[in-house]
Amino acid sequence: MTVSGKDSFLNHIASKLGRERIYDVQRPDLQALAPDSYGSLTADELIEMLKEQCFFIHTQVIESNAEILQQTLDDLVAANGGGSVITSGDARFAEYGLEFANASVWEEAAGREQNILRSEAANTAIVFADYALAESGTVVVESRPDQGRALHFLPAHYIAVIEKKRIMLRSTRAAADLNRRIQAGELLGSSINFISGPSNSADIEMKLVVGVHGPLRAAYVLI
Amino acid sequence: MSLQTDKREFNERTTDGIGNPFMRNAVSSAQDSLKTRRLTAAASLGDWEQWRTLGQQIRQHTLKHLDYYLGQLADNIEKKGGHIYFAKTKEEASDYIRDIIVKKKAKKIVKSKSMVTEEIEMNHVLMEAGCELIETDLGEYILQMDDWDPPSHIVAPALHKDRTQIQSVFTEKLGYTGDESPENLARFARTVLRQKFLEADVGITGCNFAVANLGAINLVTNEGNGDLTAAIPKTHIAVMGMERIVPTLEEMEVLDNLLCRSAVGQKLTSYISVIGPSASGETDGPEDFHLVVVDNGRSDILGSEFNEALQCIRCGACLNVCPVYRHIGGHAYGSIYPGPIGAVITPLLGGYDDYKELPFASSLCAACTDVCPVKIPLHEQLILHRQKIVKEKRTGAVERLQMKTAGRLLSSRVLFGKALRFANPASRLLSRHGRIVRGPELVRGWINTRDLSQPVKQQDSFRAWLDKRKGGAGQ
Ligand code: SF4
Repeated sequence: MTVSGKDSFLNHIASKLGRERIYDVQRPDLQALAPDSYGSLTADELIEMLKEQCFFIHTQVIESNAEILQQTLDDLVAANGGGSVITSGDARFAEYGLEFANASVWEEAAGREQNILRSEAANTAIVFADYALAESGTVVVESRPDQGRALHFLPAHYIAVIEKKRIMLRSTRAAADLNRRIQAGELLGSSINFISGPSNSADIEMKLVVGVHGPLRAAYVLI
Repeated sequence: MSLQTDKREFNERTTDGIGNPFMRNAVSSAQDSLKTRRLTAAASLGDWEQWRTLGQQIRQHTLKHLDYYLGQLADNIEKKGGHIYFAKTKEEASDYIRDIIVKKKAKKIVKSKSMVTEEIEMNHVLMEAGCELIETDLGEYILQMDDWDPPSHIVAPALHKDRTQIQSVFTEKLGYTGDESPENLARFARTVLRQKFLEADVGITGCNFAVANLGAINLVTNEGNGDLTAAIPKTHIAVMGMERIVPTLEEMEVLDNLLCRSAVGQKLTSYISVIGPSASGETDGPEDFHLVVVDNGRSDILGSEFNEALQCIRCGACLNVCPVYRHIGGHAYGSIYPGPIGAVITPLLGGYDDYKELPFASSLCAACTDVCPVKIPLHEQLILHRQKIVKEKRTGAVERLQMKTAGRLLSSRVLFGKALRFANPASRLLSRHGRIVRGPELVRGWINTRDLSQPVKQQDSFRAWLDKRKGGAGQ
């Protein structure tokens, strides 16, 4: 039960397109076609853009730096009502010397069930962003053995630490970079998540309600 | 549910819709607010028209090389240890999914919103196999709890329900004791559904786009339920219509931007994910990943005069500008695909026998065509359908006669003049206060929702007036 019915299915499609099957296609160059609406922006302008957008997506942005990062995060965790914290096993937690009381870590050794239970029980999740997109207020995170998928969705509150050098204009840039890595044969995580603020829904009378499935509150810390 | 959501006659369904003031009010205010949000989000991207052209080009390129990209997708999913199944019919698709469930002895299934699973009647098949199946999208969950009430909008499925209706469904079916505030209702659903995610054996999702060179699927959501469905259960089954594919993440990014802005007026929705089978060392995500690619009539559209309908990215923007949808609501279409795009694709997927009225449920104002982010010429496709339906003599005999008579009258000056002379006296019996209030079918259809003035007394008065002033026009 692996690839099933593939050839007859694809041959049928080719015949509907009025030709034989094809095995090589030149994809159009998107970079040449996509209009660039923003021109070039400075790093500070990108940060301003990110902050402004986060206002619209109900996400708090706090400017911090490496020295006071621990304090900033502790304050945010306290503002979320304290409780337990879960972090990814990202090496940057050690690099910045971060430690949290009442904390657990997403780790390969803990296995599926434990990692999921820890995330469900945690009041706040803290992760580092791989990319941050100013235009949409998005952080991009990739799954890894030390950073599962459910980590971003199960805890009640979500904090993403964004190193300013990782801020880029918009999703076009992140998609292009990720695709460059794929084409270079790099194996990416099985889940790439573009996260823009907390979970929300407007399913009841079109009224926006935050925290329907995922986090109730999201914050980005810029360093 | 299947493609067909209501077996009653089209006329009955529309009369129902028109006579439902709450629904009409909800639809029109949703249309207005989504329209404003869409315009703002589109404007912020700058050259929106050029982005639309790009979206159109990407969809056309992919459709033109569909066999190639699906083949590439299959190879890449296999390389990652996943399974891909190509289903020609809805039965093949549902049977395959049921077989996985049976083999796994799975009892509890969580599902995130997917229209193609409705199309293949998967819920029905799995529930018959004895599974508990829970829709986790809040809107869909509300509909499920209300005895599978059909959806009324592509993006906002429970648009037709107000908060008190939802409160009473939750109270009756789930023992909810809170008030009718959307926050409390949603918080309650969150608690119930959390438990379902944690207990589930299998997660089933749709797929906004499959990414061919990555061997993964793309989900675009605001709630995050799709991600939980793909993160927690050990088995993930994704189901996609065969045309929903892009070559790489770069094309996906363009289409996701067009989708989010057109659907809900956001630059990007809260969660956009690209997911596949769990990679080595990762502890959550599916150990067993299946992608089911569904044809179910799509290949008959491919390469036909309706080919462009396959470009659709299901953003719902065409619904949000349609004056007909505004009046009759989503249920009147009797299909899981309502609105202008529904009126185009439902007859293609379900045949004219059941859906020949849908292409006529349009004012042909072309607002849908103007708004479509991938430039599907919707109103032209509706005209094409109408031509085919008339050619196949599928319109009613009475209607054909009425149209023929009207055609003759309108194309002959002499006959038109004669008819006008009799129009005023003849219409007197049918009129009150200068308005026609009774009449045959064609007239009734009009006066149900609008005024129809009684014809003026003096026949062809404009011509008579012009004749009197002969030569005066230019002076
Ligand atoms: S036809 Fe166009 S506007 Fe309508 S849902 Fe599809 S993509 Fe959106």
